[in-house]
Amino acid sequence: MEVDSQEQLQRKQSTYLSLDENFEIQKEVYRGQQYSQIYFARLHMMRTLLYSLVPNWKSHLPVCTVLELEEGKECIIVGTLYKHMKLKPCILDEYSKERSVAPLIKPHNFMHQDDYLVLEDESGRVKLGGTKLSPSVYVTGVVVALHGKETSAGAFFVEDVLEAGLPPQIERPLKSREDKYVVFVSGLSIGSSSSNPLQFQLLVDHITGHLGDEEEQGFAAEIVHLVIVGNSVEISHGLLNGQNLASKDQSRLSEPFKELDILLTQIAASLPLDIMPGSSDPANFALPQQPLNRCLFPGSATYNTFRSCTNPHCFELDSIRFLGTSGQNIDDLTKYSEAKDKLDFLERTLRWRHLAPTAPNTLGCYPFTDRDPFLIDSCPDVYFVGNQEKYETRLLKGC
Amino acid sequence: MATTSKNMNVFYRQKKNSSASTGKKSTKSPSPKHAATFGSDITQPPALVSHDDFDEQEQVLRQFDMNMAYGPCVGITRLDRWERAQRMGLNPPKEIESLLRGGKVKLESLFDGRV
Repeated sequence: MEVDSQEQLQRKQSTYLSLDENFEIQKEVYRGQQYSQIYFARLHMMRTLLYSLVPNWKSHLPVCTVLELEEGKECIIVGTLYKHMKLKPCILDEYSKERSVAPLIKPHNFMHQDDYLVLEDESGRVKLGGTKLSPSVYVTGVVVALHGKETSAGAFFVEDVLEAGLPPQIERPLKSREDKYVVFVSGLSIGSSSSNPLQFQLLVDHITGHLGDEEEQGFAAEIVHLVIVGNSVEISHGLLNGQNLASKDQSRLSEPFKELDILLTQIAASLPLDIMPGSSDPANFALPQQPLNRCLFPGSATYNTFRSCTNPHCFELDSIRFLGTSGQNIDDLTKYSEAKDKLDFLERTLRWRHLAPTAPNTLGCYPFTDRDPFLIDSCPDVYFVGNQEKYETRLLKGC
Repeated sequence: MATTSKNMNVFYRQKKNSSASTGKKSTKSPSPKHAATFGSDITQPPALVSHDDFDEQEQVLRQFDMNMAYGPCVGITRLDRWERAQRMGLNPPKEIESLLRGGKVKLESLFDGRV
């Protein structure tokens, strides 16, 4: 076979900037704080923002706190939503005397038509009425501004809602006019019975340019970055039952990583790659998940193209901002609210300017004291979520 | 809930005159903890017992702890809470900062160890 004497194809390159500093918890010290601190930080940041948006929305109405509400007085209140859900699992149910109420089969979605919303701020809480605010759309942890008035029953009748809306996006004109591609892959689940090593090897061969003719290779040369969005390994739960492992089982435990490392080494030799932890990966459970330890990847971690990243992950390529998660935030929204498709959930989080509003209520989260790292203050150009049932994409245009 | 130090005596149990109570304590056998006897402070946790020289400074710091505008005080040191309020632009009073950095005051909030 004649080796092509033409010049070698060069892979395109992009400048990379990591913005994960906000999600790292190495500097945090746990002093016994509770989640009230992160809720306070969230409410303060969002309320300051909403107060600045209210004059453009309804400037003629007074803004007051929950405790300052008077019956019949039309006003605007800002606070954190809390959704009371009848079917939400509660640890106290295990101790309840009437066991017949809880269904034996756990539902995937905990919504019920009797769910209602409550608005809270530091001064108090008020039950929300009216049809404008649908309990099926909103979840606990979202901060909104509400226009309405207090009824004689003591509830707040909502006439209109103001969400924070899409965050501002920094206008960055594209420097080059050439096409560049980023590959997103999630749910590799190496080590599970359903994973097929051939599929991943085909992907690796395609990206590294070992497949196809010159045209295919030219296309592969336009791929500048690979992001692995979580759930790369799946460890059989039978091994993790707390018993001491026999040496035979210990090697079974590390096999998925060896296999993953071999494949990642091939990729890292060819182009920059980011690997994020997911719910099935050996990283901490609570968000933000910390980067997978480099000792798990003895082969690939030696390359400077290999980056172990946090979940959520935020980075810039050629000044285009990417932001996304491995799916835990969207999966939690699926359990506690409803939408036509997953992209609707994604869009909602962007309009609420918060990656994971249900954290820490139903989604594990580190108890930050001075900030809420999941607040989105600059709109990403690409917003992604991994480990969903199917591939979908949408182009969202702001005003 | 601003109360002046004059009124605080109404809310806190007064320590009885020292001679009577110390006399009682010295004659008791040391080991068993007795139930609350008249005038004894054994059962009360230290934070709730009124000190006659109720610190003006501690009073000011407790008001700072209780002020909802700066967020919850449980689980965070007073200085950290002051610095957080400063960073968030809430303009906490500078006297509190100088008090906390000066030493001689409790750095933990009033709920420390009680919640």
